[in-house]
Amino acid sequence: MTEQHQPTDALVSHLQLDVSAQQPRFAQFIRDLKHFGKEEGPESARTWACRAVNPRLDYSSLMKLSRFILREEVRPSSMRVLRLAILGGATTIQLRQLIEVFLAGEGIAADIYEGDYGLFRQEILTSGSQLDAFCPQFVFLATGARDVARYPAIDADLPTVENLAAAELADWAQLWETAHSRWNATLIQNNFETGLARVLGHYSLRHPAARTHYLGRLNRILAEQAPSFVVLHDVNGLAAEAGAANWFDPRFYHEFKMPCGADSLPTYAHSVVSLLRAALGRSKKVVVLDLDNTLWGGVVGDVGAGGIKLGLGSGEGEAFLAFQNYLKDLSSRGIVLAVCSKNDDAKAREPFERREDMILKMPDIACFIANWENKADNLRKIAERLNVKLDSLVFVDDNPAERALVRRLLPEVAVPDMPDDPAGYLHALARHRYFETTSFTREDAARSRYYAADSRRQELAAGTSDLSSFLKSLGMRIKVEPIHDLNIERATQLVNKSNQFNLTTRRYTLAEIREIASDPEWHTLTFSLRDSLGDNGLISVILLRKQGDTMSVDTWVMSCRVLQRGVEQFTRNELVEFANKEGCGWIRGTYLPTGKNGLVANHYADLGFEPSGANDGQTFWRLAIARDVPPLSHFIQRESAHE
Amino acid sequence: MNDSRSALQEIFRDVFDDPAIILRDDMKSADIAGWDSVMHIDLLIAVERAMGIKFATAEMSRLKEPDQNIGSFVRLIDSKRKMG
Repeated sequence: MTEQHQPTDALVSHLQLDVSAQQPRFAQFIRDLKHFGKEEGPESARTWACRAVNPRLDYSSLMKLSRFILREEVRPSSMRVLRLAILGGATTIQLRQLIEVFLAGEGIAADIYEGDYGLFRQEILTSGSQLDAFCPQFVFLATGARDVARYPAIDADLPTVENLAAAELADWAQLWETAHSRWNATLIQNNFETGLARVLGHYSLRHPAARTHYLGRLNRILAEQAPSFVVLHDVNGLAAEAGAANWFDPRFYHEFKMPCGADSLPTYAHSVVSLLRAALGRSKKVVVLDLDNTLWGGVVGDVGAGGIKLGLGSGEGEAFLAFQNYLKDLSSRGIVLAVCSKNDDAKAREPFERREDMILKMPDIACFIANWENKADNLRKIAERLNVKLDSLVFVDDNPAERALVRRLLPEVAVPDMPDDPAGYLHALARHRYFETTSFTREDAARSRYYAADSRRQELAAGTSDLSSFLKSLGMRIKVEPIHDLNIERATQLVNKSNQFNLTTRRYTLAEIREIASDPEWHTLTFSLRDSLGDNGLISVILLRKQGDTMSVDTWVMSCRVLQRGVEQFTRNELVEFANKEGCGWIRGTYLPTGKNGLVANHYADLGFEPSGANDGQTFWRLAIARDVPPLSHFIQRESAHE
Repeated sequence: MNDSRSALQEIFRDVFDDPAIILRDDMKSADIAGWDSVMHIDLLIAVERAMGIKFATAEMSRLKEPDQNIGSFVRLIDSKRKMG
């Protein structure tokens, strides 16, 4: 016994390792965890078990963790809990357990309803069922090709196949519509795995009645026609990634009705959870990259920009290029790239500035830090500059010691194992599904440009001694609109993603926002900001509820990118004007602290509201608008909605 | 003690979370606390992985049948490991 050590030492030391190094020592970790639970109580052991959850652990290890995790968790009564129904065609016992474990690993509290084997249709369609009483927010239809009710005969012609497919889809649509109208639920719908039975071999491609061809048609119709409250889960794609012959284990299906083999189950469950995470706005936002031996081969400080291994001429150099290409693609879909490197700054920048064959260029990097300080401190700095929380970061470094340091000091940061060979980097990052999304908007595609513009604004601000002249120089214009068809996805995304500038942290699904937007009792305001440096997109949303002569602010969120620009002041003025127009005498607001939104604790006070009570950490605020409320000053012009 | 059986004992202790389990040839599934049909699947998965073997479909539930015991399970595993 090593009494002088903290009881957590063994646990921390285990968790800072790569999963590949954890796996052989996993039994010891479980013993340490048990010991720790006896000393410190089950709730503490649960916390550590949650930190150990990783999609790369094997089935048996995850099940061992589940013993610590799937006990009654102590939840504060104010905690919002996700209600998820898992309804399967095949058995869902193992899947459900793993989904629960991965949710716990993400810190998402959930109540789960597991349907009876194969009864998903009845449970959804029967009112007064147990499922009905549970009233799920999310319904995961863990179904597959075996749950397709109609298959064409092999000699059926194209119109027959098309009719069958349309009828089949109509059945599924009825399930979705029912779940949606009954519980306002968001659905997660598996597509259909095309499997291995290609009776016409390669000719199946040209024959619509062939099973794989027909399932492909159904999958295409699903993708094209499923309404926006249905989130598609590409289980067929998962099987393809693994290779269908590896993904499925027919023995376990025939004997136990398991949907895939034991080695595939963690991947399957984790993939579903990555979609839930995305729907809750908790996907990762930033990739922080090391440079030497991560983006190129060799140490640029030793060999110079001309000597690094990159690109054509060597296989390894091409592997680095391929990884850069993937990162560039991530950046163009809105994932922000940053650099954190132990290097001299000037030397580290050289390849970006001087090598024609670098795929990534300086403008692709939203925040570039190269120095000799420890990487945990630098990551904190990067999060601060980009105005994101540490749990939005993914840290990619080829050096296992740096990975261990960051895991130890910043457990919030995601740190994937990286293999020795750069040819494996892309997969090593991609397999964690950090960046899943349930929608894709123009703002997403432009986000990296926003961040680049933000750092230019910071430079501008640094060169301007006086903040107001800087703000004036930006020529900011804001468009104010209610939520409508074209901005509803982005507005929903902002409501669900904002953690810091969020007064009440109430999350709403797309379906719920749609309902709010059409409810006469509710009013919605969105704000889109443009300035001389570019378009910032939709950056703030307010959801209002009119109760008598009071306009109550249910939700007020803003993107932290536009802090300190006068947007809050502009927004408050708009709010007063709007409440006035609606004939209200009061605006009321609430601040619900969450641990992440300390930033806005004084929001209402700063905007001239007076306190009207407090309860259990919550504070209540009001603003009388019966008399003239003087507008707050700012440097933003209102833009008419028609421009 | 037979090689497979001591390895199997470790797996049992691990899967059923009970370090006191001692396997004897005449033990049946009813003799081990918590050995239900769900745990049985976890057990098979753990045995297949640890031993590097694959059970045939017909063998997967045989262990739960009344005429089977740990002894017959160890013999099955041994025959599979020999086939390697």
